[in-house]
Amino acid sequence: MASAPGIAAAERAASAAWRDRPLRERRVPEWAWGVLLLVPAFALVAALILYPVVYSFWLSLHNKHAYLPVQTFVGLDHFVFFLTRDFDGFWRSLWLGTIYAVGSVALQTVVGVAAALVLNETFFGRTFVRGLLLFPYMVPIIVVVILMRWVLNDSYGVVPWLLRTVGLGAPGFFTGEMMMLTLILISTWTFFPFVLIGVLARLQTIDPELYAAAAIDGAGPIRRFLHVTLPQIAGVLFVLVLLRVMFMFTKFDIIWLLTGGGGVGWFVRTLPVYTFMKTFQELQVGAGACLSVIMFLLLSGFAVLYFKIFKARAEEGQ
Amino acid sequence: MSGPTSAPRRLAFALWIHGAAALLALFCGFPLLWMLITSLKPDPEILTAEPVFWPSRLQLDAYLRLFEQTNFAVYFVNSVKVAGAATLLTILVATLAAYAVTRFRFPGRELVAGTMLFTYMFAPIMIVVPFYIMVRSAGLMNTHTGLVLSYTSFSLPFSMWLLRSFFRSIPLELEEAAMIDGASRPQAVARIVVPLALPGVIAVSIFTFIVAWNDYLFARVLISSDRLKTLPVGMSDLYNATVTDWGMMMAGGVVITIPALVFFVLVQRWLIAGWGAGAVKG
Repeated sequence: MASAPGIAAAERAASAAWRDRPLRERRVPEWAWGVLLLVPAFALVAALILYPVVYSFWLSLHNKHAYLPVQTFVGLDHFVFFLTRDFDGFWRSLWLGTIYAVGSVALQTVVGVAAALVLNETFFGRTFVRGLLLFPYMVPIIVVVILMRWVLNDSYGVVPWLLRTVGLGAPGFFTGEMMMLTLILISTWTFFPFVLIGVLARLQTIDPELYAAAAIDGAGPIRRFLHVTLPQIAGVLFVLVLLRVMFMFTKFDIIWLLTGGGGVGWFVRTLPVYTFMKTFQELQVGAGACLSVIMFLLLSGFAVLYFKIFKARAEEGQ
Repeated sequence: MSGPTSAPRRLAFALWIHGAAALLALFCGFPLLWMLITSLKPDPEILTAEPVFWPSRLQLDAYLRLFEQTNFAVYFVNSVKVAGAATLLTILVATLAAYAVTRFRFPGRELVAGTMLFTYMFAPIMIVVPFYIMVRSAGLMNTHTGLVLSYTSFSLPFSMWLLRSFFRSIPLELEEAAMIDGASRPQAVARIVVPLALPGVIAVSIFTFIVAWNDYLFARVLISSDRLKTLPVGMSDLYNATVTDWGMMMAGGVVITIPALVFFVLVQRWLIAGWGAGAVKG
């Protein structure tokens, strides 16, 4: 420490010498700088995402209590239990998760594409409407849930009132059999802008001459959509659906906040909800980790596919 | 653009498009408008069998109740702290990393970049179980540090990926010219590269801020003390605590939504560009 000024002077001299050299001839090799700058990001991701995934594989082979220091090796017992015996728990949650993912992605896609087609036309107030249509996606999930509980409330909600007024009758949105449908509708409201943006960006790059040619051939709006628009957006639609299925299949907060797992939550107890309950209510960390691992394995197929498409695009696009 | 050509059909088409646009606007806008109206209504006009669309007067009582009778203000400050810290940390680390992978060649570069992108596919629910055990072993339960770290690591992969595409579009010659003029490399980066990549940096900030601002799962699992709760957890506990005070709940909803909305309006243009590049998740 005593020679700190000396060191500082030496560093200044060294950095002056450094500066005087041309960019490509400096002493510390270029690649070392690259590695050095990448280290913080990679360390964080490795320690806080990659390692937990590996760790959950390890945990899934154990019986472990959430609070007590109990941990015993049980091998593949958890996997065997879930896959061969837990029909009301695991298999049911997988089935409900599939209904939820498929149902809500289908609706998001239909609404998203329809909205993109509308926004691709010129009309009064288009910029404003575009902002408004993206807005549900920006609303925090906790707000979406509380707001929808109010809007769809059996006694005081504005939507049931409207349905009763026009003579349709209100279905009781938060009763057992309706729960899944209500959840799908709310999820569609929240997440369709994701599809909208992806499709709209693609629509705006379609060559107008394609439509002109179709119009000359006498094609009506439906045939124009099927024969011109749809083939053009098919690629991006595939990627969007892939992403949406992955995201909806692992969605936790909107379902949990809407039902809290118990009561009517039974009707929407998907795999993420079941995982959370096993871990943080039944306090079986090993079993919870096992469900996480199963989720991970189910999604890897999707992830690998997306990753390949993304890389191929990034390499040709940028 | 794809509209019909004859005049009457064009008119019909325009009417149809306007109708569809109005319907979509109502679908998205009405629930939010209803939240705002409910939060400003006098109490007797909230719980009515027939909804009161035009309140007899507007008042801020629900907002006062929210801030005076609950810990909402504490949750709000906590959320600002956590989301702000996660955003700053992400920008710093992601900028360095994106610069590293666009400006230097070193072994394993593509592998590391690819691995980080792959983690984009990991949903929070797949990580939370082991993460909880790790955070507890590290003694970080019930701290904001644990939350900041989890939000940062979740936003990093895509932040880095997005910034990479911005950095790539900035020619290396610009930095070299600055350095020939006597600037050090950090100076060249700070004065030339970062300003040119600013839209990317802003998109990354918004993305991270919204991830942290909206998260319920990690905040639920890692925080138990009431004065450390962030908004989503605090709000959900308020909702479940007693008979629901709908006016107050809607007021809370409005207050929580405003920061996300302001950010969104400010940077809509860049955000949409980033959206195209895939910088949005969830």
